[in-house]
Amino acid sequence: MKLLFAEDTVDLSRAVTALLEREGYYVDAVYDGRQALEHIKSESYDGIILDIMMPEKDGLEVLKEIRGMRIITPVLMLTAKSEVDDKVTGLELGADDYLTKPFAIKELIARVKAMTRRYTKYSGDSLKFGDITLESDSFELSSKNAVRLSVKEFELLQSLIVNSNTAVDDRFFLDHVWNDEPDATDDTVNLYIMYLKGKLKAIGSNTEITKDEDGNYKITYNGK
Amino acid sequence: MLNTIYGDNLPEMEKTREEVISVIEDERERLRKKYDADPVEHLLSRIKSEESMREKCRRKGIPETSYSALHVIRDAIGVRAVCDFLNDVYELRNALVKRFETVEEKDYIKNVKPNGYRSLHLILKDNDFYVEVQLRTISMDTWAALEHNIRYKRDISGNTELIAKELKRCADELASTDVQMQTLRDLINGEL
Repeated sequence: MKLLFAEDTVDLSRAVTALLEREGYYVDAVYDGRQALEHIKSESYDGIILDIMMPEKDGLEVLKEIRGMRIITPVLMLTAKSEVDDKVTGLELGADDYLTKPFAIKELIARVKAMTRRYTKYSGDSLKFGDITLESDSFELSSKNAVRLSVKEFELLQSLIVNSNTAVDDRFFLDHVWNDEPDATDDTVNLYIMYLKGKLKAIGSNTEITKDEDGNYKITYNGK
Repeated sequence: MLNTIYGDNLPEMEKTREEVISVIEDERERLRKKYDADPVEHLLSRIKSEESMREKCRRKGIPETSYSALHVIRDAIGVRAVCDFLNDVYELRNALVKRFETVEEKDYIKNVKPNGYRSLHLILKDNDFYVEVQLRTISMDTWAALEHNIRYKRDISGNTELIAKELKRCADELASTDVQMQTLRDLINGEL
């Protein structure tokens, strides 16, 4: 795993880099925001550690720029300040985690490990419900027969299964599956539910999706 | 003389073929009026050639007689209707089953073949002649044509297991599209 570590205090940088390397990481250490950006633009990292107070460009500016370039690499922000504003700004700009100085290097390493764990919404084996099996890697939905789902259909069905015991409505799916896209509406959710119903029928499944008077969706098998 | 394996049944067989086509055409017209669009993309029919029939008899190890051709083998008369939408396949199916004696029905849409093949097969009987009808969507027809092409190719280079798996994936993806298109049509026509 390769990390970018942007910190202008050279001694701190050396100490942390040495310990991260001992943990098995490859570390590119840079000392200002401009260098950080250059490296991020030309290389691919598994994780980025950014100090907020850096010369040339500060950590928040770097963060804003890389998220603007749609770089989704996880980012851990470091700061000497423990101001809530900086924490909030960092997280809102797209940082994944935050650590205030002084920090225990042990904690930094633990947070870096947590941040770079290979995790995507699609990891894991197959999801089973009733008489259906949903594969995370191929988006295959199967029962007696099999069909393929699009990304949105997959996420919608996964969400229905995972939330089978809670009340979930159009608003819930617009937030969690469509991420509040401006073009997505209740009609969109309804249509995709219709697609799923059609596909459940096509695969010969008896699993059903229903909507109650309160507008809550439920996935059931044999009434449960 | 052409088609001697069928004896002198050819004119009667033609009548049966035309009768099946006519039932399909009537249903096609009804659906055309209903949806303001032709539900059938194409309609093919044929009486199996003398040579094909003889070859099939040989393959099955049965004598090349008109009995074999008309009573053992059941696709002397063949019809294939390719529809735009999934539900129309079933509308045609219902119209045919209502009008003719159905000897056998194999729904490979509800019971997909392991290789991914989907279609609805009917063996009908009219005037003592068997007719094999295949009903499918454009997607199913496209896939079947490609699969046939690949399967009958003499030297298949490449990983045959991988190819078979990918063909199945294509079939399942095409089936997904069929469901979506049908859903959209239902939505537009207020049938949801």
